[in-house]
Amino acid sequence: MRFDHRAAAVALCLTVAAFTGACQKNGTQTSSTSGTEGTTPSAQGVQVARVDLGTSLANDNTVATQTNTFLPNQTIYASVVTNGSAPSAELKTRFTYQDGQVVDESTRTIAPSGQAVTEFHVSKPDGFPVGKYKVEVFVNGTSAATKEFEVKST
Amino acid sequence: MADDKKQSRPDFSNVQSGSSSTAPSPAQDGGAGATYVVKPGDSLSKIARHHYGDAGQWHKIYEANKDRIHDPDHIEPGWTLRLP
Repeated sequence: MRFDHRAAAVALCLTVAAFTGACQKNGTQTSSTSGTEGTTPSAQGVQVARVDLGTSLANDNTVATQTNTFLPNQTIYASVVTNGSAPSAELKTRFTYQDGQVVDESTRTIAPSGQAVTEFHVSKPDGFPVGKYKVEVFVNGTSAATKEFEVKST
Repeated sequence: MADDKKQSRPDFSNVQSGSSSTAPSPAQDGGAGATYVVKPGDSLSKIARHHYGDAGQWHKIYEANKDRIHDPDHIEPGWTLRLP
């Protein structure tokens, strides 16, 4: 009689996995909206459904005129559509220029119950420099979406 | 030969920003809604114009920050104001 150590190890792992959900070396799944571990499950249910960019807003905070190209003197609106409910969820946008410079960071704490639309906007009195930009959206500090856009002179 | 790419970095210090949401803020639980960090040259009416599209709404910001703002004509760069 030979004791198969390898088979025993696999069996042990499978048993442990059944109880702990461990043994996932591949395809590890994590919640993309998880906040800080150990705190209240406040914003676990809030996900970014989409981010739209444009030059004006409708009454419901959605973008009325979608575009990814702006003129230097235009106000740039980023409309963030979220799904889910939470007693508190922090949305943050970070606008960056092509050289990595941070153009603006804004946060808004919301208590959504179902779909919500949160708009962030930036403007520059003397005009944005021409070039490529990016806006990144975070939910409770975790990056949830990124959108690129461009400022052109004409 | 280097290209003419050595341009000075653009200055984004005067970028104005704001936000609003269809979702309520958790203020009733002691949390905060939007906040704004005062920049040089800001005034309450200027901030109100950019955040609410109406300079006349400056008093909303004043009311929400009365613990800090004693004179609505005087705000200091670096202050973090609540935007109701």
